[in-house]
Amino acid sequence: MAGNFWASSHYQQWILDRQDLYRERHNDLTVITEEEYQKIIMLFANVIQALGEQLKFRQQVIATATIYFKRFYARNSLKCIDPWLMAPTCAFLASKVEEFGVISNSRLMTACQSIVKNKFGHAFSGEYPYRTQHVLECEFYLLEMMDCCLIMYHPYRPLVKFCADLNAEADLLPVAWKMVNDSLRTDAPLLYPPYLIALACLHLAAIVKQKDIKGWCAELNVDIDKCMDVTKMMVSLYEMWKTYDEKKEIQAILAKMPKPSLSRPPSEATIQDNSQQQQPNQQQMSSGVS
Amino acid sequence: MGEDGTDRYEKIDFLGEGQFATVYKAKDKKTNKIVAVKKIKLGSRTEAADGINRTALREIKLLQELSHKHIIGLLDVFGHKSNVSLVFDFMETDLEVVIRDSSLIMTAPHIKSYVLQTLLGLEYLHAHWVLHRDMKPNNLLINEGGVLKIGDFGLARFFGSPSRPYSHQVVTRWYRCPELLFGARAYGEGVDIWAVGCIIAELLIRAPFLPGESDLDQINRIFQVLGTPTEAEWPDMKCLPDFIVFKEFPRQSLKDIFTAASDDLLEVLNSMLSLNPSKRCTATQALQMSYFSNKPAPTLSHLLPFPKSNKIIDKEKEAKMPSLKRKQESSDSVSLKKRLVF
Repeated sequence: MAGNFWASSHYQQWILDRQDLYRERHNDLTVITEEEYQKIIMLFANVIQALGEQLKFRQQVIATATIYFKRFYARNSLKCIDPWLMAPTCAFLASKVEEFGVISNSRLMTACQSIVKNKFGHAFSGEYPYRTQHVLECEFYLLEMMDCCLIMYHPYRPLVKFCADLNAEADLLPVAWKMVNDSLRTDAPLLYPPYLIALACLHLAAIVKQKDIKGWCAELNVDIDKCMDVTKMMVSLYEMWKTYDEKKEIQAILAKMPKPSLSRPPSEATIQDNSQQQQPNQQQMSSGVS
Repeated sequence: MGEDGTDRYEKIDFLGEGQFATVYKAKDKKTNKIVAVKKIKLGSRTEAADGINRTALREIKLLQELSHKHIIGLLDVFGHKSNVSLVFDFMETDLEVVIRDSSLIMTAPHIKSYVLQTLLGLEYLHAHWVLHRDMKPNNLLINEGGVLKIGDFGLARFFGSPSRPYSHQVVTRWYRCPELLFGARAYGEGVDIWAVGCIIAELLIRAPFLPGESDLDQINRIFQVLGTPTEAEWPDMKCLPDFIVFKEFPRQSLKDIFTAASDDLLEVLNSMLSLNPSKRCTATQALQMSYFSNKPAPTLSHLLPFPKSNKIIDKEKEAKMPSLKRKQESSDSVSLKKRLVF
């Protein structure tokens, strides 16, 4: 996305610090651990990625949707709106904001049903419960919670420029690009400007590819400490992935996840697979839809 | 932003209705400020299923990033579900009303002031890589202090990054540049600059400069006045998707058409109305031309003439703020009716 990043709402309002994150998150963290929290957010980043791929989105739209999701839960508890509803809503809003042609709601809902069934059976058993009307209602809450800040800057563009400057389009760019995708599974996009994330990924890619870019880095005028913070976040993500098996563990984590109280309208209620008390709610919902 | 909008804004007056929205003058009970509330219509069922209206979303996402004296300010967004309302600075009138109010006398310093304010706003927009794509007098809003602000971002978009092809069905026909009329899918600031050229011409002759009745008639009129471009003047013209060969018209001298315009203003106009978009000046280049540093100085905003009635030509309930005419077809039919009045 073009425009002036330094004057943007992304830079001025949506580069948060860790305290901001923990202020909103600490309630959820009384129920689940920090690592479990990260695993939940990661699951839904995967859900959005799968949805985007199903709908043939460009990666930029997927990245925007993922950060919308993060922004919403940076300001709200997980129990506020069911993330299974928020994920497609973010994809829907991002496709409109990024002017990615028209994705009809029915296509979106079909994509949800299909990916939940085919790719996330380990995390969600049963039919995907939400309908178009829920997404439309949720869309407005999302817009509101983000204070109408919709334009997003991503590390991809600075990354391409850095690699061109380094003459490293062939070796470093593909590796660093994938790492930028992975950075969407961390808090980094909420905490650091995109160019720093691009640099951190480039740095890591250079290590992986054993390419010496010290000379180039020495001429950069950036806060190396902040860049290292991002690098550390990425490294700890990769450390975690060494032992983490989402398919085996996520169901137990989701069962612990804070959920909406039942007094809420169905569209905001979570419908978690094996929790029995929610069954009536699910029926109520489908009858409400028909 | 919040759902309390209905309580916060007290409706004062109905301002107008368009295809996509209804606009009210309202009082913000929190700040006691007068504002314009644009309520987006829910529309048909298929539109409702699309969630928050795309035009409204474009205005929200862009105006949230922009802040400039000569760009309309988005103050608040409220609503429920897909039923969104946008709250803007209240603008008393617009340049179309000023141009059409025959009781107002427009002097050279007045014109310089309007052009200057328009270009300052446009320069800022383009510096932020935003194309407005619907520049016309009706979208140049004027507040009670005479300050002109560019409004209606319902067609605006970012430019400059590789992206999907743009639509050429933008800009109200009379202000549409030759490359758009020839179906260009990749274009730049030139489309807004051409429109400003047409607006300057309209300020000078107090009537639309090139009021085409169809797209074909539009390009015909352009060439009749500015001459059919030769291969040398615009080599890439024939590569445009909808290019057709036109009769060869000779170029008329702008000096003969705009007899009251000074030479330095004609220089600006000549550059803005270059048929070849790559030869058109940018907003920044235009602002550096001698017209703006030469005498007479532009009139200060608050001393600009003000129309007695801010209602556009009575019967037509055109909203001042922000313009509701969006679809070229609809706006043309309205404007054409208006033209018969002249």
